[in-house]
Amino acid sequence: MVLEATMICIDNSEWTRNGDYSPSRFQAQADAVNLICGAKTQSNPENTVGVLTMAGKGVQVLVTPTSDLGKILACMHGLEVGGEMNLAAGIQVAQLALKHRQNKKQQQRIIVFAGSPANHEKKLLEMIGRKLKKNSVALDIVNFGEEDEGKTEKLEALLTAVNNNDTSHIVSVPRGPNALSDALISTPIFTGDGEGGSGFAAAAAAAAGGVSGFDFGVDPNLDPELALALRVSMEEERARQEAAAKKAAEEASKQEKGGEQSSSQDATMTERAGTVTSEADNKATDLMDGENALLQQALAMSMDDPATNHDVRDTDMSDAAAEDPELALALQLSAQDSTKDSAGQSDMSKLLADQSFVSSILASLPGVDPNDPSVKDLLASMQSQSEPQQKNEDKAPNDEEKK
Amino acid sequence: MACLHDHSCEEHDCSSDWSLYKHIDLTKVSALNEATTGSVKSVFKAWEQRLNSSGDFLESNEGDPELLVFIPFTSDVKIKGISIVGGADGTSPSKMRAFINRDGIDFSDAQSMQAVQEWELVENIQGVLEYQTRYSKFQSVANITLHFPENFGGDTTQIHYIGFKGEATQLKRDVVATIVYELTPNPSDHKTKAEGGGGLSHVGK
Repeated sequence: MVLEATMICIDNSEWTRNGDYSPSRFQAQADAVNLICGAKTQSNPENTVGVLTMAGKGVQVLVTPTSDLGKILACMHGLEVGGEMNLAAGIQVAQLALKHRQNKKQQQRIIVFAGSPANHEKKLLEMIGRKLKKNSVALDIVNFGEEDEGKTEKLEALLTAVNNNDTSHIVSVPRGPNALSDALISTPIFTGDGEGGSGFAAAAAAAAGGVSGFDFGVDPNLDPELALALRVSMEEERARQEAAAKKAAEEASKQEKGGEQSSSQDATMTERAGTVTSEADNKATDLMDGENALLQQALAMSMDDPATNHDVRDTDMSDAAAEDPELALALQLSAQDSTKDSAGQSDMSKLLADQSFVSSILASLPGVDPNDPSVKDLLASMQSQSEPQQKNEDKAPNDEEKK
Repeated sequence: MACLHDHSCEEHDCSSDWSLYKHIDLTKVSALNEATTGSVKSVFKAWEQRLNSSGDFLESNEGDPELLVFIPFTSDVKIKGISIVGGADGTSPSKMRAFINRDGIDFSDAQSMQAVQEWELVENIQGVLEYQTRYSKFQSVANITLHFPENFGGDTTQIHYIGFKGEATQLKRDVVATIVYELTPNPSDHKTKAEGGGGLSHVGK
């Protein structure tokens, strides 16, 4: 619960366009900044946070220290990437901004994101560090991006010059699958100096690690609506899957039949399922890879409009026997494919690659003769996208069948 | 403007004069450029203990002799004189500048601002030197900031004791910290006598 005024120095130089931290260095930084602001404000409501950019046209203060999170989040929008980072000027301007904070009782802290090479002399950085120490300003450095020896050495020298009683820290985040913000959560930058972590940091760390008491990795306290929506869609999906599995088991033998409507609906549905699962994938990666695939399905289902149509169809299954088995099979196939692998593309290609399925659809379409050369060409081109050998084998017996 | 005591220093006489340390708000005392955070609190003690620095004293960072000490009082005081006991071997401060009733001064402010009063200090190991103030300027002091820009050549600056001579008034210069404003009145907060059944309206019970 330290009363603190923090200035965050963001690196928005050209180097941060690099995608080695997903989605890009700059975006990863922005996420980390949001998390830090939240953590600081939660640990003490009177804490203030300000933001400035170090590159671009020059050092620019976006927000002076404020406890209004909305202002900080708003200013992070529409930031342009470009120019070269000016570390020395950035730190000095941050110090000036902190000097003019409204509440003089707050401790001063600067957090620097260094994502590009440091162009300053080591001596200059040490001098700046000593000046910060003299004015009792703490400094946290997040070293990411370029990993040359000189840069790390200079930053470490800066840290030793500033460090007073371990109030300043340096964190090096190497490239890797973990997001920048996740790597920072467990560091003293988030948890404060020896306080053992605020509630926010602990919850965020738990959610990120996937080892939480919370379902779906979302803290019900942080985001109750999302947690509720996920739970509801999970239950809906479970119910739908049960119904679909039952129908498919009964009427699997009738997969050759199928109405015109259902087939075209299937096509659109599978397409959408493909795109939706890829959206779900982005969400899933956000929620960490450890999340179960059922969650992805739930998200997919809850976002899918045609899915509501399927609900209606599922309930009417007993009536229209001819149409629905096709549908049920398609549903089941797409569901199974989502569980097997997360790539949306392969879902679609697998469905298309299921030769019997495709030909059955075509057979059910009036006015389309599978023996028509153009149809055969189309089929051939589709198959060439997926595994050719297997499809050719399938195609041969099917052609015979059609004839 | 240093002056020596012109009488043989009987302990209790002098110590009662230098009793302003009791009015210092020790929790809010702070210093800039101190090597150990919090060591500044040890320099405010009774007169008789001024030479007794049992290990705890205020020292600046290596290679940087500047020190800035912020001292708030619990009530407004009038300061007649200041006494400083420095360290040996050139670690005593050589200059002192004072700022009154200003919050949050840092080194760049201190260097650019005009001080209320400045003194040239002498090495004062025995602690018998008193530096007089221009009393008219030090009439209602809620807090004082002492800036020591130089020392006598040592690597660091050490201060073992800071004493204030003067008198304390009972006036407080508190900034009103918390005010609660009512947007709409809450009737339960405003019971009148009639409702409370006070006065002469007791009947029965």
